[in-house]
Amino acid sequence: MATERELSDFLKSVEKRAFKRSVYHVRDEEAALDIVQDSMMKLAEHYGDKPVTELPMLFQRILSNCTLDWFRRQKTRNALFSNMSDFEASTEDGDFDLLETFAFAEGSQQAESAEDTTRRAQMLREIEAQIQELPGRQREAFLMRYWEDMDVAETAAAMGCSEGSVKTHCSRAVQALSKALKAKGIQL
Amino acid sequence: MTSNHATQSEQLQDRFGRRIAARLSAGTAELSHDVAERLRAARVQAVARRKPAVIRTATAAAASGGAATLTFGEGQSLWNRIASVLPLIALVAGLFVIQVAQDEHRAHEVAEVDAALLTDDLPPAAYADPGFIQFLKASKD
Repeated sequence: MATERELSDFLKSVEKRAFKRSVYHVRDEEAALDIVQDSMMKLAEHYGDKPVTELPMLFQRILSNCTLDWFRRQKTRNALFSNMSDFEASTEDGDFDLLETFAFAEGSQQAESAEDTTRRAQMLREIEAQIQELPGRQREAFLMRYWEDMDVAETAAAMGCSEGSVKTHCSRAVQALSKALKAKGIQL
Repeated sequence: MTSNHATQSEQLQDRFGRRIAARLSAGTAELSHDVAERLRAARVQAVARRKPAVIRTATAAAASGGAATLTFGEGQSLWNRIASVLPLIALVAGLFVIQVAQDEHRAHEVAEVDAALLTDDLPPAAYADPGFIQFLKASKD
């Protein structure tokens, strides 16, 4: 059972990532803050007595549901944000080969401290813009898998889909991102 | 060969994903003060509304024990409920068995009287004969 301190520490560890993820989805900071606040409330109110190990998975599900709820409310309220098609699986990317188009140069990894701050900020903006361009499910899978550091099974459980789907979403997201970043001349 | 290629591809994907994630993590450190404060306030508010853990002390359990059994208090598991209904079922079954046994006993007694009457030297029709009743009254006097 999570203590008050453990719950607080957990929320502190995820709140910024959750906020940024919501921003990528809804593209509105105010709405993202509301979504994260709602998610935190729901987690604390309904699952505050759960073991601390169960909190990450529960929080991811609640955050996803709150984001979907926001889209539903927006769709009902007006037609401005009716881009629910973002959450449908895309079927692009035919014979794209990651190995051919995105090959890491092992020796090219530079120390981040050596990079210019402005250039770093610019690169971050580009990466964030490209992540926002991803279809909803791909973005969700990619961010859970790599940013939240969840394994394939955990991501599948949180997204309510099969492990195969998670792998496909992640693979497509990586391909799309690497293509787009390469086109912008960005090397990680 | 194909599986080698697939594994290598997956490793590259993972490495790429983690590098992007590292960049994104670095970006979260640069969130505005306002956003960070609002997140902190939301967290504090959420923690304050935390669902309280249900802790049953011995005194509370003893005090509510009887009532819980009678009212099938909420929170009891299915097996607990079944276990609390069992004595009631046993009582009803016992009463039913006792009633059946008593009925059988009574029927047996009536049957014995009937059998005694029928096997007696005097035929049962004699008791309905007016002359016989008169004879009994006269012999009583």
